[in-house]
Amino acid sequence: MSGPADRLNRVWINPRAGYERSVRRMMARPREAARLRTPRAGLIMREHTDDRWFKTEQRATLGRSLAERLARTAGILSRATGAGSGTNVPGRILERLSPQYVADRAATLQDGVVVVSGTNGKTTTASMIRDILGRQGYTVVSNQSGGNLGAGIASALLAAPSSASIGVFEVDEAALPHMIPMLRPKVLVLTNVFRDQLDRFGEPERVVELLREAESLLPPGARVVANVDDSAMWEAVADADPIGFGVVLPANNFRPSPKAGPGPTSQATAASEPETCPACAGQLTVLRRAVANLGSFECDRCGWDSAWPDYRAVVRASGGLSGTIFELRGILVTLPVGGIHNVYDAAAAVAAADVLGIPPVRSIAALEYFEPRFGRAEVLEVDGRPVWLALIKNPAGAGMVIEEVASDPTIRVAVISVSDRPADGRDISWIWDTDFEWLVARGIALIPSGRRAADVAVRLKYAGAASMPALADPVAAVRAAQACDPGGAMVAVLATYTAMLDVRSALARGRVARVVDHPVAFTEPAQ
Amino acid sequence: MSSVSRDLVLVHLYPDLLRTYGDRGNVLALQRRAEWRGFSVDVVGVTRGDRLPSHCDLILIGGGTDRIQEAVASDLLRRRAELEEATLAGAILLGVCGGYQLLGRSYVANEGRMEGLGFLDLETTVEPGRIIGRVVARADLWGRSFELVGFENHGGRTRLGRECQPLARVGRGRGNNGRDRTEGAVRGPVVGTYLHGPVLPSNPAFSDALLERALAGRTGGDRLVPLDDSLELTAHRVARNLRR
Repeated sequence: MSGPADRLNRVWINPRAGYERSVRRMMARPREAARLRTPRAGLIMREHTDDRWFKTEQRATLGRSLAERLARTAGILSRATGAGSGTNVPGRILERLSPQYVADRAATLQDGVVVVSGTNGKTTTASMIRDILGRQGYTVVSNQSGGNLGAGIASALLAAPSSASIGVFEVDEAALPHMIPMLRPKVLVLTNVFRDQLDRFGEPERVVELLREAESLLPPGARVVANVDDSAMWEAVADADPIGFGVVLPANNFRPSPKAGPGPTSQATAASEPETCPACAGQLTVLRRAVANLGSFECDRCGWDSAWPDYRAVVRASGGLSGTIFELRGILVTLPVGGIHNVYDAAAAVAAADVLGIPPVRSIAALEYFEPRFGRAEVLEVDGRPVWLALIKNPAGAGMVIEEVASDPTIRVAVISVSDRPADGRDISWIWDTDFEWLVARGIALIPSGRRAADVAVRLKYAGAASMPALADPVAAVRAAQACDPGGAMVAVLATYTAMLDVRSALARGRVARVVDHPVAFTEPAQ
Repeated sequence: MSSVSRDLVLVHLYPDLLRTYGDRGNVLALQRRAEWRGFSVDVVGVTRGDRLPSHCDLILIGGGTDRIQEAVASDLLRRRAELEEATLAGAILLGVCGGYQLLGRSYVANEGRMEGLGFLDLETTVEPGRIIGRVVARADLWGRSFELVGFENHGGRTRLGRECQPLARVGRGRGNNGRDRTEGAVRGPVVGTYLHGPVLPSNPAFSDALLERALAGRTGGDRLVPLDDSLELTAHRVARNLRR
């Protein structure tokens, strides 16, 4: 094999070539590097970081600044060749060349580090904390657009300005025990644990165990901020004297889900995790339910009960997709994004900021300007019409998004895009525990999409939905949705992680603008 | 209750606990496919402390995590006699994943040995390393042969004894134990499988084999009328051809 890709290969992975020489040679051929837009080049870029030559003793002799320079150059090359967005490549190289990089660099952040983990809400909670800190004048380093594994965090630290004084990182649950000793956070925020990517984790209990392990590795003086309403997760970290947050809905806000067959007993939906006492596995009585298995419980057998949250958000009004009004610490908050999950994230962010010395009233003022990012209730525009994009990945989170969409009277059509790549979870059984029935009952037309569009079509058929053609391609699905609601206000797209990336990258190619002024209209909960 | 006047009484055991892997989809597939053919269906959820209905045609036990399986085990074992009676009266019992393991003689984990219902002659032992991945298998059930697609995710290795038959042979995937290429087990009206997906919606032939036998009392054993399964068969084909 020869040609440009092969030459790049030799420049990069020849074990005998010195690192500096590699960099010099690579930099001397920028035009050649830029021409390499083949997928093959991308493959090499990804593969070479795993190559054995990084594990030689030469690594130990590399200075931090040299490692940084090499990693930066690799990021530029990755972007230039189209092999990637350049967010992870520098970090992967740093992890190999300078394993202490993250720990060294994080230690220079004099105002500390906040780490956010858990199944749902990591990105939004971290974004909210970053916004709050930013509005207080901090220069914040954060992995907002990159990966939430070690490489993404290393890349973020590398790209950070030297004035950065505080870090906010979302960290994957499996990477957490490894990352905590490096990041030495002042605050660890734990959002929730739902069944998610079970092909990777095996069981949700394994994730709870990972979070507990992470908590035990925290430096002295660090505080845990955790969701009181997630009884299994809360109990796992209870020894750390966590600061709790929770959400209360108005009593009349329970919209019973149209039953799609057998309803589990009590008010739990199929999306809920099994509810047993975290202390004795006995039957729990629901005192108050917010959503899925989140709420306040009491054990019939051993008397265990949910703790009282220090930060308790009481929902007052919902405006569908456009916002929620809730009360927290006596302050009425107008959050410009809808959905109960975002209220949880906001309560967590306010609690975390309080630990850092920012009073809730200031945090709340910042949250009232919050703009969702990266497929978390983003509004994009296609052919001049708004498209609301939300991530779904497990029954609990998807249920919250569905409730939000179903409660917005302007939505008449939605795209359900499900893919099954490793980042999505390869087992898509969870779509059968997800209450698409709510959307069907509202008369919303549903268009199946994604790599598993055919399975979505079957799921919707059994939910009683009118048959719509399955369109694997996300943009074709969005266009079909717009076509079937010509005068409609907005199309909702519910997509799994890689399906969401597909939608975003396709829409970005079409030079799609962000819609900034989506009107906020609030309605009181139905009596 | 009007259960007796229904054509099909479908019992979902522990719908609140054993439901981690889309088990509701299996119930929904059976319910809808009977209703679409004009049969009336009663779906009954039975959990800890509840009694089984006096008559049932099809009983489904889903999957759960090890912790949840332990939580239901004592209740389930107390039901041994009533479940056995139901199957002797003609009911079909389908166990999926964790539910399948509980149909066997025992489940041996690091923490110790847990007794099962013993309806299937098999034993399950937890070994390090979970079996996780896509499955394509060829099933033989009550004289019918059909292809199964699904997803497996289990820490236990199940070995079949002489008194039950494998449900299927895996072409792709690892099946009961990763060694003998068997998947699931059958003994008379008791059927077990490790497959998620959930298994029934994208394998309509499996759903209909179960329904046909469960409805035999109403139909006199006649074949069920075919349905338009084009969506189901497309999903089946997509799952079969997935590369990773």
